[in-house]
Amino acid sequence: MSNCQTCSSAAQCGVSAHASVNQMHERTKELGVTTVFDRYQQQQPQCGFGMQGICCQLCSHGPCRITPKAPQGICGATADTIVARNLVRLESHGIAAYTHHLEEILKTIKATAQGKTPYTIGDEQKLREIAGVVGLDTTKPTNALAEELADVMLHELRKGSDEPLALVKLFAPKTRLEAWEKLGIIPGGPLSELRDAMTKTMSNIDTDPVDLLLTALRLAISTGYMGLVGTITMQDILLGTPSLTKSEADLGIIDEENVNIVAHGHVPLVATAVIKAAESKEMQELAKKAGAKGIKVYGSMCTGQELMQRSATSAKGYAGQLGNWITQEFMIATGAVDLVMMDMNCSIPGMKAVADKFHTKLVSVDRILRMAGVEDHVDYEPEKVSEQAKELIKMAIKQYKQRDKSSVVIPKGKAPAVAGFSVETILGALGGSLDPLLDAVKQGAIKGIAAVVGCTNNRNGHDSQGLTIMRELIKNDVLVIAAGCMSSASQIERLQTPEAAEEAGEGLKAVCKMLGIPPVLNFGSCVDIGRIGVAVTAIANALGVDPSQLPVVASAPEYLEQKAVADGVFAVAFGLLTHIGPVPPVTGSALVTKILTEDVESLTGGKVLVEENPVEAARKMLEHINQKRAALGI
Amino acid sequence: MKEIFVDLDKCVGCLTCTLACAAEHSNSKDIVGAMLEKVRSRIAVESVGGKPVPLMCRHCEEPACVDACMTGAMQKDKVTGIVTNEGHEQKCVGCWMCIMACPYGVITPVEGETRLALKCDRCGGKEVPACVASCPQGALIYDEAKVVAELRRHNAAQLAMSKAV
Repeated sequence: MSNCQTCSSAAQCGVSAHASVNQMHERTKELGVTTVFDRYQQQQPQCGFGMQGICCQLCSHGPCRITPKAPQGICGATADTIVARNLVRLESHGIAAYTHHLEEILKTIKATAQGKTPYTIGDEQKLREIAGVVGLDTTKPTNALAEELADVMLHELRKGSDEPLALVKLFAPKTRLEAWEKLGIIPGGPLSELRDAMTKTMSNIDTDPVDLLLTALRLAISTGYMGLVGTITMQDILLGTPSLTKSEADLGIIDEENVNIVAHGHVPLVATAVIKAAESKEMQELAKKAGAKGIKVYGSMCTGQELMQRSATSAKGYAGQLGNWITQEFMIATGAVDLVMMDMNCSIPGMKAVADKFHTKLVSVDRILRMAGVEDHVDYEPEKVSEQAKELIKMAIKQYKQRDKSSVVIPKGKAPAVAGFSVETILGALGGSLDPLLDAVKQGAIKGIAAVVGCTNNRNGHDSQGLTIMRELIKNDVLVIAAGCMSSASQIERLQTPEAAEEAGEGLKAVCKMLGIPPVLNFGSCVDIGRIGVAVTAIANALGVDPSQLPVVASAPEYLEQKAVADGVFAVAFGLLTHIGPVPPVTGSALVTKILTEDVESLTGGKVLVEENPVEAARKMLEHINQKRAALGI
Repeated sequence: MKEIFVDLDKCVGCLTCTLACAAEHSNSKDIVGAMLEKVRSRIAVESVGGKPVPLMCRHCEEPACVDACMTGAMQKDKVTGIVTNEGHEQKCVGCWMCIMACPYGVITPVEGETRLALKCDRCGGKEVPACVASCPQGALIYDEAKVVAELRRHNAAQLAMSKAV
């Protein structure tokens, strides 16, 4: 394992911080099938040019690399230009995916308002509140209002880049707006911003590294308020705002006696319909006829987190969370999964090879997801999803009949988890006001808040970086909010239980015990990083300060893909110290590195912290939190 | 006698040397052609703890592979110092003693052949071997041992001064 630091997370020195995944990795070796861990080794050594971001493949003169012998590309581009341009292109990819997610939700709300789907508006109060903020007539009936709000959001999504995004103006703290206005980075609609960014990053259009980095910030703000905040808000309106709930995580929750369906990806629409349909008498009877006890729908990745967050409401019947990005091949290796429904994002081709060792069927449930060898597509359509859900369950039952019981290996591990946290849940738990939380922060019982979010990665051992950072932070009385793959990481290692308060410092422990909450709060999926933005905004407004003055930090300790790049830049734009690991591909440019890790602080109040040693990273974040406390005089 | 020296600190693991080696030993003489012809590289870049380590034949003064070769397929040229089996590969019986003997592991069996070992031939005496010429970082140096020693001495002196300041 490269850069292996003796970490406090791994139960043993394995490829993963989770015993269940290490066990299944041994199983895949027995089966003679390669997985992400094996292929990682095969890829060593990896190219230093790519790692530093100084390889450009845009034109046919290239590829060009920046070396001592060739300090410029053939066109004259410097390392600074190439690195900044590559970064904006990575971020653009992430934004494209976020807008797809948002559009699916908006389409669904419209169809739901017209009575054409199995969903019902899940949070009418939020609908009326947001509709009021954007200036709609809130006396209208629910469905009519929902449709109008969806249209407003669709209009925002498609606005020109010269028309400032209404959501930024309406939801961003005033002090942020001032900072962004000064830089000229108040964005328009994300699709137009995306078009501009892609145009700028074509060869020889925008070659100014500083302007490219400003473009990165502008894009991130557009994403933050539409792809993140917009998506979670509309998703809450459709599926319900998360509410406190108990759940379970880890591969040990797989129950052999049932037809087992896994919802994998990021968009919880098909999964919600399938959970609902699975409860019907018709489906239950089909399962029983096939010899199963019943039907279970498990979650994987962010779709699973979305379901877990709403498992007391629209996703009642959700069977628990199997794991995150790295777990996907290993959940199939149990041999007890009958069907994997893959929605947008994070379905790796490696799953197919493992599925082929068993009876497991992979099926795409999003028109934009395709995988070589996967024949079955049940592409989500809001108006047809009731039928599609049944079709998917029937597929799973058919596969169940072919399951070879003798090849099933399920790890024993399962962890309880308390989930369903959101700004609303926290307010509810605190009796309708943030004051008790703010008082705990002011008095130092809670030193600060850290959002440990984003993907997982096996450069340093699956989930070990994130877990070490979370443990170090809670030990030092920093309340942790988790989202995305980091949520699964902490669920499986029991950090999302009230009992985990024992691992926290004295101050945080007392607060957790008083409120009966875990020291690591599950905010949900990666798109729920928007929820963290909403929480930080609420805290900043309550204290009458700018987010950059708060004892709050963000960490994406194991970032993997392009959406995370967009999230990270958004956190910097939002004014937060943002720890990112592994080292992002920017080190080939001294200028870009300096801007991101130093200079940007004077512009937005946020900056990037790069630190590969998790204990050291936590120490630096704590130092930052203490500095912010001192500046506030608390 | 010039040798290939490796400046480990400079290697970034881009594998350009392996592509250049394959191209040099292909009919097409270019990288894309070499990939189509499925030509293998004779040098390798290993990874230790994420750090790249290029390895290629040292063309030893007393080559263990030549000593171990019972048929005389592997030979060291008295004039050029190049160790190769090329030109006498028909003698090879595929006993792989050369692979067993080589301390660097840089001799491999030719895929699909039962009696042929593959190793660096230093590009048949080219003025600068292809791997060295292709290295964008200057991590591979082809020169006399004494020149390389001078260079390293100079660098060490510079480093000592920079730390003293």
